[in-house]
Amino acid sequence: MPERVVTIVPEDGLHARPASKFVEAANEFDSEVKVGHVDGDLVNAASMLAVTGLGAAAGEEVRLTAEGDDAEAALDELERILSTPEDEL
Amino acid sequence: MTERRLSGVGVTPLSGVGTAVWYAPDAELDAPPEPETVDADAERERFESARDGARAEIRAERERTAERVGEAEAEVFDAHVQFLDDPQISDGVESEIGDGLPAEHAVTRTFDRFVEQFEGMEGRMAERADDLRDVRDRLVRVLIGSDRVDLADLPDGSVVLAERLTPSDTAQLDPERVAGFVTVTGGRTSHAAIFARSLALPAVVGVGEGLHDIEDGSEVVVDGTEGTVTVDPDAETRDAAAGGEDVEITAESVETADGTPIEIAANVGTRADLAPAAERGADGIGLFRTEFLFLDRQSPPDEDEQYEAYLEALEAFPGGRVVVRTLDIGGDKPIEYLDLPEEENPFLGERGIRRSLGPDADLFETQLRALLRAAGSENGGQLSVMLPLVSTVEEVREAQEALKSVAADLEDDGESYAIPEFGVMIETPAAAFLAPDLVDDVDFFSIGTNDLAQYVMAAERGNSRVADLGDYHQPAVLRAIRATVEATEGTDVWVGMCGEMAGDPDLTELLVGLGLDELSMSAVTVPQVKHAVTETTVADARALAERALAASTKAEVLGVLTETTR
Repeated sequence: MPERVVTIVPEDGLHARPASKFVEAANEFDSEVKVGHVDGDLVNAASMLAVTGLGAAAGEEVRLTAEGDDAEAALDELERILSTPEDEL
Repeated sequence: MTERRLSGVGVTPLSGVGTAVWYAPDAELDAPPEPETVDADAERERFESARDGARAEIRAERERTAERVGEAEAEVFDAHVQFLDDPQISDGVESEIGDGLPAEHAVTRTFDRFVEQFEGMEGRMAERADDLRDVRDRLVRVLIGSDRVDLADLPDGSVVLAERLTPSDTAQLDPERVAGFVTVTGGRTSHAAIFARSLALPAVVGVGEGLHDIEDGSEVVVDGTEGTVTVDPDAETRDAAAGGEDVEITAESVETADGTPIEIAANVGTRADLAPAAERGADGIGLFRTEFLFLDRQSPPDEDEQYEAYLEALEAFPGGRVVVRTLDIGGDKPIEYLDLPEEENPFLGERGIRRSLGPDADLFETQLRALLRAAGSENGGQLSVMLPLVSTVEEVREAQEALKSVAADLEDDGESYAIPEFGVMIETPAAAFLAPDLVDDVDFFSIGTNDLAQYVMAAERGNSRVADLGDYHQPAVLRAIRATVEATEGTDVWVGMCGEMAGDPDLTELLVGLGLDELSMSAVTVPQVKHAVTETTVADARALAERALAASTKAEVLGVLTETTR
């Protein structure tokens, strides 16, 4: 299963607006996408509650996995969001 | 139908007639029925259709916010839609319905679990709990068919009835449309009451549980003078209320009958208060609250924005004094970008000058820069700067150092500026005790009686259970005021009062007798107080003050006051 480790750039972390964009993007793909702390459990990336519940801050690394036909595309897009400063999102 | 009357505390000397509209931010549910009686499939359908309804509402609100406020602020509603459609919410609600709960209870239970989880998290994550509550309440309202009243968009002639109104609730009321408001809780100095006075809205607070008997759509008369609410009024009551007030407005400054000038100024809490203050004849602004510049936004106002706001205030009162209070913020006011810590007792916590000399030092510096530049402008000579919640001499000196360093920076930057008149609010017992020392460091005092009464009496504002204690007729409060004034005698320091007490025309003679030079109040009572000053002589007033200061109980104080007015 494709997997990536990405460092969170938006200064608010995976919270508020970046989280909202992230969840929105995760919902646009058919693949099942998960996200979590590098050494922790993975949660459904399409769930706002689960994603904000991670409490992942800027500078932290998170692990992304995707399973499905468009898995690579989904990971590309989610990685882009996590690597973009908030004011450029 | 015969009229019914309820009593509370009147907060403005104004009356209004209108149609009752209940404002209930939180929907309350009855206990759930027996599980066997619940049709799970029907409840699932109710939930689905409520979710569609709520989604449409949130999207509409998003559009409105984007237009009225801005795109960035509107984006919070995107998150609301995501919470609404979250798979964990769907699963939770599904399982609760499966256990035999009706949809509204299933929604409440499911959301509350997550609310609790988010509340336990640190810092900004905890804010999400508020978003979840918002989504939960919206869903429940749609499910049980109760419409939340949009306070900013009420029909003309509405009288708002509520358990309580928060500052942000009251800030939404449009005085052009709203005929008044009535609340179950609250006292004369609650935020809602203060707001009513600055907007000249008829209002009665602290009516008690009986208010719940008034139904939406009933005709009601709000009588702020008598402190009553009348349901289904007789023609006579209605006409009397519609007749309005009986005051003469004068823009001239006033003096007592024996020639002592008393400055009568207005308290201003928003830009919208400036015009009414001038229209009702205020000599100037005795308290310009700057918090409104900082509330309801994502980042603090910059120096230029503040500078413009201060110029606007100066221009509204050419030749009149404008006393600007520096930012008075603490844990009771939500300001997202300040990351205010939750405190057990926000009114005894890090607020006012304590934050300005601590975590908000940068904001304080920016504010001082804007103020000093405004003081250097065309009308700037009338500007005064005042510090809130002072309790030590060091705070005053430290603030003065900050002011001097800002002046030096402005000098280096080649900006034009001036050093404004400098004063402190006397609102803690500590400041009243220290007044004889503080006089050496300031140009003026302004006694904030709402907080002074709260702190002297250890009785919180807005808590109707202790409203009798937190009353400014208490002898201990009068003596704290007198001690403050006494410290200024024989000095150049003038002393004003900017609490609600200053706007009570029944107390004007007493306040003149206690030695106040200036009284600042909500614009609505300026004409009555000006009139009261002209009917007072200093000699009589002093004798009255002496009798009031000799009183040992509130009842005796009231006795002294009534024996002279009647």
